[in-house]
Amino acid sequence: MHFDPAILVDYWPLLLQGAWLTLQVSVAALLLGYAAGIAVALIALTPGWLPRLVAGFYVEILRNIPFIIILFVVYYGLPFWGIRLPATLVGTVALALFASAYYAEIVRAAILALPRGQFESARAIGMSPANAMWHVVAPQILRALVPPSTNMTLTMMKESAVLSSITVPELTYQSLVVQGNTFAPFEVFAAVASIYWLIAAAIAEASRRLERRVGAVQAEAVSRNRIADRYLSLVARRT
Amino acid sequence: MGFKLDYLLSILPRLISAAAVNLRLAVIIMLLALVLGTALTIVRSRKIAAVNACIAVVISFVRGTPLLIQIFIAYYVLPAVGLDLSPEVAGVSAIAFNSMVFVSESMRGGLATIDAGQIEASTALGLPPHAIWLKVVLPQLFRRIVPVLINEATIVVKGTALLSVITVVDVLRTSQQIASSSYRPFETMIGSALVFLVINLAISLSGRLAERRFAAARA
Repeated sequence: MHFDPAILVDYWPLLLQGAWLTLQVSVAALLLGYAAGIAVALIALTPGWLPRLVAGFYVEILRNIPFIIILFVVYYGLPFWGIRLPATLVGTVALALFASAYYAEIVRAAILALPRGQFESARAIGMSPANAMWHVVAPQILRALVPPSTNMTLTMMKESAVLSSITVPELTYQSLVVQGNTFAPFEVFAAVASIYWLIAAAIAEASRRLERRVGAVQAEAVSRNRIADRYLSLVARRT
Repeated sequence: MGFKLDYLLSILPRLISAAAVNLRLAVIIMLLALVLGTALTIVRSRKIAAVNACIAVVISFVRGTPLLIQIFIAYYVLPAVGLDLSPEVAGVSAIAFNSMVFVSESMRGGLATIDAGQIEASTALGLPPHAIWLKVVLPQLFRRIVPVLINEATIVVKGTALLSVITVVDVLRTSQQIASSSYRPFETMIGSALVFLVINLAISLSGRLAERRFAAARA
């Protein structure tokens, strides 16, 4: 078999439209999902067992069910409650819901990693809980949030491929359309995989820039020796 | 129309028997991923520049593209190059390949936590490389990455739901078949959500128990 990119000439606009929608949906789900995630994290950290239990249920349920099933539950659930929305919007909401559980855990872990005294001293000098969170806790956890949030955003962007199964015309959906028209799976999926790869690289680059702005967490230097490196390291030693 | 709990209960037996398919595939995938991931890690530890450069590209590809696309590649592209796989085999290969990379990446992280003195001692004793891997490094490494592997197992179980898209009759596809005749898709989907929730919570829970035992064994 041979590889003939010319097959795709007529279909590039379709794939690019799909990629653009994938980007839009991912950004919308990032914003929505992060807002919801912060809210859930704050609920989880509220004193008392009930809020913690509710937030815990929210996170565990969403993290243990495949995204494709969350998507279908939302897709069939909204009309069930009398809400009719276009597929793209339904998909974005489902994606945000899915991501919010992971963002909540990231935010919660970052807040818990900060010494409790920070929040307590802020409260002791008379700041309201909201002010203490916003002016004392938030600036300090920002840098710890970037790497795990980037990972999750990448995962979420990749999961958006599943929206194709409820006919959201994003990149994967368009790839199946083009595949159906051309019967050239190799060319189509090579092109689509490359586009996803590029989007992922763009997200990673954006995160690196953000990290530089908020100050990167220093990676721990591992002291090693030549003999141990033969087994315990997978990268060649730089000399 | 209200939520019909009795309908949901009536379809659960069918969903549970379909879950056997997801579980069986997930077990095969996890075993493949562990074996291949370990092999990949050992190959990478040889630090042959050209080989590691190729592996780095593969890893970046697997991590940078959706699992669904990787499944489509196994399902649509491999037959075009003469590898005609059944949907199940294509799907299992795709997820196992994906998981292999994640296993190897978590092993890379785990390796850095092993005491260098262990390798020095084994080398000084004149242990051959395969013995150092099998008797010294891997047993400690696996214990350390149990939490990551448990997490990966739940990800694999969730991944098997995607195989319904390439016509594997798993929980999701069974529920779609049920819903198309009962016209109650919402309750049916809640049913499959429950099935996955129970499976994955059971995996996480048994993982936590295993962790505690390992921690006790080390103490």
